[in-house]
Amino acid sequence: MNSQAPVSISILSSNSLFLDATHLSEDSLMTQKRIWALVSQCKESNAFLDIVPAMNSLTVYLLNTHELAKWQTTLATWWDEIDAQQYQGAHHKILTHYGGEYGPDVDFVADAHGLTPKQVIEKHSSAHYQVLFLGFQPGFVYLHGLTTQLHTPRRANPRTHVAKGSVAIGAGQTGIYPADSPGGWHIIGHTDFSLFNCHANPPSVIQPGDTLQFVCLESTS
Amino acid sequence: MITVLKPGLLMTIQDRGRTGFRHLGVAQSGAIDSYAMTIANRLLDNDDNDAVIEITLGLAKLQFNCDSSIALIGTDMQAKLDDTSIYPGWTYTVKQGQTLTFATARNGFRAYLAVKGGINCERVMNSRATDLAAGFGGTTGAALKENDTIPITPYSKSWPKLGAISPPKRSLIRLHPSIHTQLLSQSTLDEFCAKSWQVTPQSNRMGVRLQAHTNQLAHSHSLPSLAVNPGSIQLPPSGEPIVLLNDGQTTGGYPLLGTVISADLYHFAQLKPGDSINFCYVDLATANAAQAKLNAHLQQLAIALKNKH
Repeated sequence: MNSQAPVSISILSSNSLFLDATHLSEDSLMTQKRIWALVSQCKESNAFLDIVPAMNSLTVYLLNTHELAKWQTTLATWWDEIDAQQYQGAHHKILTHYGGEYGPDVDFVADAHGLTPKQVIEKHSSAHYQVLFLGFQPGFVYLHGLTTQLHTPRRANPRTHVAKGSVAIGAGQTGIYPADSPGGWHIIGHTDFSLFNCHANPPSVIQPGDTLQFVCLESTS
Repeated sequence: MITVLKPGLLMTIQDRGRTGFRHLGVAQSGAIDSYAMTIANRLLDNDDNDAVIEITLGLAKLQFNCDSSIALIGTDMQAKLDDTSIYPGWTYTVKQGQTLTFATARNGFRAYLAVKGGINCERVMNSRATDLAAGFGGTTGAALKENDTIPITPYSKSWPKLGAISPPKRSLIRLHPSIHTQLLSQSTLDEFCAKSWQVTPQSNRMGVRLQAHTNQLAHSHSLPSLAVNPGSIQLPPSGEPIVLLNDGQTTGGYPLLGTVISADLYHFAQLKPGDSINFCYVDLATANAAQAKLNAHLQQLAIALKNKH
């Protein structure tokens, strides 16, 4: 494993550091696993207000600005020592109704790839997805693992209303709408799984580094 | 209780906002001028993080359904308590049934109204701040609207007349250096600092959007998503920078021109469309000294108030 690769840790502000690993590896998922392991280690330190992983990067917001230089050094040391395999996230099963009224765009996605709707559903629900990070809106998960056979350009005309729980495909990504919102992805199904509840603790059951799969409840075909 | 008779352009309940949830995509929210909010709370001997009302531009009217003491900080919106003019920077005693009216801000954009004891709405994820995009916090999860009621604890005892001076406005905003200097090139960053930037009408609590008469900052870079936060200055391909504020998203894929130093971020609360600002990069020591100066100002206020309360 490429455990000695140099990582860049820059000062963003008086209380924040940016660890950039985007340039390190051919295998972005392996890099991301090291990011999650580092997140886990950072949490245990209780030194941070917020610890925010994104795509092959990590930003930490310190409680104490006097410790900026110390953490710049510490994060570099930890990165060199970290083992990507030491982090194991939770696994979630997302029970999904595909097609029909639940997934009005299944036929479009199928036509775009010369597949049947049933094949689209099989391909989508047979994969194991990695939760890379969350962002965009509360509870929205960025997933890794959509087969290239289902990559579909976003809709030319975004919908003004996409229902909470919609399971959708947009370009190379698949995801779940955590709340009602406008959206340009192709809706292929719906889940009652609650991604975000501001009154729950934690408000999002799914965390960066978790894995998930979509489980087909029924299909139209 | 306070009844909203007219909310104006945008009226929300805010405190310092949420921390510890950015990895779940939750924005900070909170008072954009957290400094004004803190002063308002201190004048009433409230907790620094007690919730206040953020008033935007003016054209607003509130009715008090109980006695209270209030502090008004921020820009002057020619406020009147019934028919009597009241001024930002001061505490006032309010009697049940009185109305507080705000005309229009002339030199700024936002004012903060604190009440003795703070606003009592339920905390969501450790904060009373309204998250407008996600729809939680405050009293209803939304901007205050006509006939909404705001829960407060009646306060009928006398409260001393107290005042506090707010620091002057700044139009030269200090920044931490860009982490994308190589990608954007030094000449882009130089041009960014050389130009005067105007605040556009598309600005809101998520971010202040800027434009210049002509600029050469357009680009075609796209980055893997990285974390952003209030103070991050994004440069979209259009070349028109966005300074992210409290309601800004947690991740983004645009290169960053830099980060506003913590001591200067509150100035964005008072910028209205058409206002002009400039930027300069400073080192960490300068940024920390500026924050220490602000903290000292608040500390002086605390000492001065100690004997008055």
